[in-house]
Formats: sequence, structure tokens, C-alpha cells
Amino acid sequence: MITLIYGGSSSGKSAFAENYVCASKCKNKYYMATMSANDNESIKRVNNHRKMRAGKGFVTLEQPVDIVDAIYGIDQIDQGDFSTEGNDDIILLECLSNLVANEMFRDGLVNSSDYCVAKIIDDLKKLSQKVSSIVIVSNNIFEDGREYDAGTKDYLRALGTLNQKLSVISDEVYEVVVGIGIKIKG
Amino acid sequence: MILIVGGSYQGKTKFARNNFPECRYFNQLHLFIKKRLQEEKKPIQILTEIKDAIGDGQWVIISDEVGNGVVPIEQEDREYRDITGKILIELADEAEEVYRVVCGIGQRIK
Repeated sequence: MITLIYGGSSSGKSAFAENYVCASKCKNKYYMATMSANDNESIKRVNNHRKMRAGKGFVTLEQPVDIVDAIYGIDQIDQGDFSTEGNDDIILLECLSNLVANEMFRDGLVNSSDYCVAKIIDDLKKLSQKVSSIVIVSNNIFEDGREYDAGTKDYLRALGTLNQKLSVISDEVYEVVVGIGIKIKG
Repeated sequence: MILIVGGSYQGKTKFARNNFPECRYFNQLHLFIKKRLQEEKKPIQILTEIKDAIGDGQWVIISDEVGNGVVPIEQEDREYRDITGKILIELADEAEEVYRVVCGIGQRIK
């Protein structure tokens, strides 16, 4: 099962997503962190998120790129086993916008939106076959009415296309507004 | 308290007047927050000031949603977006009713 949780910056989407995951019946909860924090503001943001989910029983997986690799990396963690089918695992992927940026600007290269979309969808499909549930947090960065340079546009295109493709394969889609989750699919 | 949010020029104020004519209004909350941040007020001070202002009677608070864009380059712009979002989450939590207005149509979300 795939759930997409979409919202603007500081819309309360992360808190909503964490509550959503904690309310699931899945035994093993994984928090897949995609942000690689290397400046003060990012570090502060990461720390705030860590504080928010402390005590909620998440195992954190740092996966800034190649999220499919979590399947193999998880063997080192006692809890859960992604390598067997029909298990009891739920992954909270936080968040898609960082993952897209990391896949796009990688190893000193700039990958195209088409490549990034195809790769991330492929990784997610493989991952979703190994776990009971994936909850994906994604961002609304599309409504400021500004015009951007070609590079930023391609990034917007990648994230927007992914949101559309993911909503098709998701069982449930929520848009979070001022902390309130509005179900828009499912 | 009733909270009404939405993008700019969506007809939030008109929706409020049509549906809650008896109430008092705190309009353009996002601009109020921006002004207070420019005066170097802390988020908690701003939230307290808002709550104090709506102490008496039935109020409608109206605000733009400002977090639905590309992350701004300037730090103060990012801070404004984040703090406005967080204050709106707090207010939505306390509100009896929350509406989101799109194209003049108000959808009750709480």
C-alpha cells in the first residue's frame, strides 16, 4: 500500500504523516530520511524532526539517494526484514523533494527530470513490493506564481510529475492544510 | 473562532462576509505576522498578540497560505513562511471551524 501526503512548507504535513504511520497496525516503523544536512539551517530542521518523532518507535534509515538500497541495508537492523515478502513493515519517506534534488544533482552531474522520475518510481515500486506500506511525504512548491530558470523548472517538473504518477499508484492521497489532512483520494 | 485560509485573490473576504456577517474580522493575518517579524518579535509573542486581540466576541481570522512555493533564497523569507505556517496550525487547532477557499468556494476542512 502506498500513501501520498502532500502539503506546503510548514503545513503540518510531517506531523500528520507521523501520526498516520503510528496509527497503522504495522509493527515495524522505519523513517527514511532523505535530507543530507550540511548547513546550520538544515541541521536545525533535521534536529526538530528528530525531536518530533522521538519516542514514537521509528528506526531511522539515512537514504539521501538510491532508496531501493534500504532493502539490503536493513539486514543489519534486528527489527524487521525487508528481504522477505508479506511482512509487517511500514516506511515513512520524508521527503520526496529532497530525494528528487539529491538524485538530480548527483556526483557533480545534473540529471534530467525524465531520468529522475523514472528512477525514483522504479526504486519505489521495488521497495513497495518488500514492505506492507510506504507513506511518502511530498511538497507543494508550485503555487508562488513565479517564473524560474531552466534548471529550477526541470526540478519542478520532476517533482510535479512524480506527485502525479504517485497519486495514480497510491491507495490514499492527502493534502495537508494548516495541520488538517484532507483526503483527496481513497 | 473561525479560520479561513487560501491563496491570494481566491475570494476569502467575500466568502467570510457572505457566511459570517455577524462576526468581527482579523483580515490579512499573514501581513500582520510579516510586520511583526520585521519588528523582530518572536513567534510566541505574535501568537499571544493575536489571541489577545480576538478575546471578545466571535472572530473570523483570514490569512493567505504562503508556504506553497519554491523555498525562498532569503533567510527572512523562509522564516516568514515557516512561522506563518506554524501560527496557522496553532490557530486551526483552536478554531471551531476552518475553511479553505479556492475560486471563491469555501470548503469546510474542520
